[in-house]
Amino acid sequence: MKNAHPVLEIQNLSVGYKNIPVLNSVNLSFQKGLFVSILGPNGAGKTTLLKTLAGLLVPVSGVVLVNGKYITDYKRSELAGIIAVVLTEKVSPEIFSVFEFVAQGRYPYTDFFGRLQTKDLNVVSSALDMVNATALANRQLGGLSDGERQKVYIARALAQEPEVIILDEPTMHLDLKHRMDVMNILRRMCQEKEITIIASLHDVDIASKISDCVILVKNKNITGWGPPEKMLIGNAVANLYDFDDAYFNPALGSIEIRGNGQRGKVFVAAGMGTGAVLYRLLAKKGFQISTGVLHTNDLDYYVAGSLGAECVAQSPMEPVSGDLFNIAAALIRQSNFIIDTGFITGGLNQRNMELVKYALEQNKKVITMRRQSNGLLDAFTSECLIKCSDETEILEKIELLF
Amino acid sequence: MTSGSMNISLSDFFNIIFKDSTGTIEEFIVWKIRIPRALASILGGAYLAVAGLLLQVFFRNPIVGPFILGISSGATLAVSLVMLTALGLGMPRLNPFLVTLAAFIGAGGAMLIIVSIASKVKSGVTLLIAGLMIGYLCHAVTSIIIAFAEAEKVKGFTLWQLGSFSGFKGTELGIMIIAGGILLVFAFGLSKPLNAFLLGEEYAFSMGVNIKLFRLLILLCSCGLAGLVTSFAGPVAFIGLAVPHMTRLIFATSDNRILIPGAVLLGGAITCFCDLIARSLFAPVELPISALTSFFGAPIVISLLLKRNSSI
Repeated sequence: MKNAHPVLEIQNLSVGYKNIPVLNSVNLSFQKGLFVSILGPNGAGKTTLLKTLAGLLVPVSGVVLVNGKYITDYKRSELAGIIAVVLTEKVSPEIFSVFEFVAQGRYPYTDFFGRLQTKDLNVVSSALDMVNATALANRQLGGLSDGERQKVYIARALAQEPEVIILDEPTMHLDLKHRMDVMNILRRMCQEKEITIIASLHDVDIASKISDCVILVKNKNITGWGPPEKMLIGNAVANLYDFDDAYFNPALGSIEIRGNGQRGKVFVAAGMGTGAVLYRLLAKKGFQISTGVLHTNDLDYYVAGSLGAECVAQSPMEPVSGDLFNIAAALIRQSNFIIDTGFITGGLNQRNMELVKYALEQNKKVITMRRQSNGLLDAFTSECLIKCSDETEILEKIELLF
Repeated sequence: MTSGSMNISLSDFFNIIFKDSTGTIEEFIVWKIRIPRALASILGGAYLAVAGLLLQVFFRNPIVGPFILGISSGATLAVSLVMLTALGLGMPRLNPFLVTLAAFIGAGGAMLIIVSIASKVKSGVTLLIAGLMIGYLCHAVTSIIIAFAEAEKVKGFTLWQLGSFSGFKGTELGIMIIAGGILLVFAFGLSKPLNAFLLGEEYAFSMGVNIKLFRLLILLCSCGLAGLVTSFAGPVAFIGLAVPHMTRLIFATSDNRILIPGAVLLGGAITCFCDLIARSLFAPVELPISALTSFFGAPIVISLLLKRNSSI
């Protein structure tokens, strides 16, 4: 790092209320202009950590350094020019216009009576502009929606012209549009103004895509911190939140929710992404999925794996081997029915087409989305080979049959 | 000024004000009774309104008034001690000055307790509850004293409890003006942190408000103002609770730089008006000022609130 001092640094910090620590011996440092997300289950101590970082709570032990100087050595008004906060607490709807509210952020800079100078007015206007809330300026704070309100809170923090903005669950209670808006605004503040953003978040998937650094908090400890690309791998997210029935796939950047698998077995012959949507649908409806033969570089492989499906997998660029064909055939024999996604066939996955044919020969019911099979499946009656055009139609057929 | 138990015509009134003294009884009434009383009610109303405003912001609670922290209860207790028990003995007739002194000591005592609690506890709600408890305690002791007191004295005490701006002397007015004036200026000086406080204690702290100092100043200011009025006029109800609301709604802002002067004006005007009605409606019988303030204040606040709700 170029800067000698991180803008915020904590050493051996224990945070908590009334000398009862909630989080123990934390050592972290925050560089200028980074987006840092704090992830972890409710009650893990995220809010306590954030409030201690902001100087709102006194640490149980250890120190907080702001630009290399102890936080306790700052005057409150000096600190206000470095750290601003956005809390979850809702500001009660006093008779405040949005502009007046945001202008409160100028507190550390205004004179004894809090009069706004031209510069203050400009800063407030540009803060509102930054959060796309210029149009709200004359509205009453009490009349805003949750999403608008959150943006206005951020504008107020921005009007403090801080180096760090600390936000406690800034996307809580927001709809998807405002959630994305807020995250984009924060991201822009990092990139354009070099403000360090430290936020506790619950959307792991958004956090993983937007953060420069994530801090994982669990069971009174920091279980890890670093770039999300490094931290949110394997079972890290599932472990953090103790999921059993969901899985965060870093490559997909999303959480896949596993079904209970109690509705019977289904084998899906898929490939090249043709199965992804179907897998989720089947998992949601409670089917136990097996699938194959997939190449390990296939999107279907990632999705099916995240959903806990049994995958018969072949290394990339290799044709499906005879051994794997036999394993898949065994799975087909155990399955209640088979779905053929209508994947394109070529040299490497020719055998998958034979799997479908094999299933039909075993008198298994096959639901297919395939338009034409080059004569391969023509011999079979419509009783065994059920044709569907899309996933929802498949679902209807399944509900009828099973 | 002109109306009251004794009617004085407007022309006579201006004669008395602007011309040389003639030594008439009207002149005495105007200079020694009517003007001090009007001034006292204006000041009292203004102080109570500002005290209420400060506490409403401080506790972020619109139904808080200046007496919520036990100031009036403290004063009442001390006055009951003087008026109803042996402490007042040795005085064939009750000395009004002694009552004032007792009320001042009572209000001051309650204030000291509150401020010392405030320096120990962190949360505003805890402080509020502590204040309420002090109020109840004082009230309990007062009611025990009443139970043992002579019926005749109780009537006098009850009348005091209803509050009145009558019988203000020049020195008392002087104290009111100077002490209250200083506190008012002080309160106005707090309007910037008060505005920040509207956002909540944590936000205010994060913006650089020295919460501990600010909290102490707010309490001193509001308790001082309320205690001052209570000492001289007894616990006048409702002004401290209702006027801040009216001010907020009439001026349509939460900006305390506007609200504090606004509360001074409205508080003074409304209290003076109520006092005028109190003493002239059924003259020569005087109605208790608290009854009037509640009578006028409650419907006005309710109608303002309803109007505001429908316009949002």
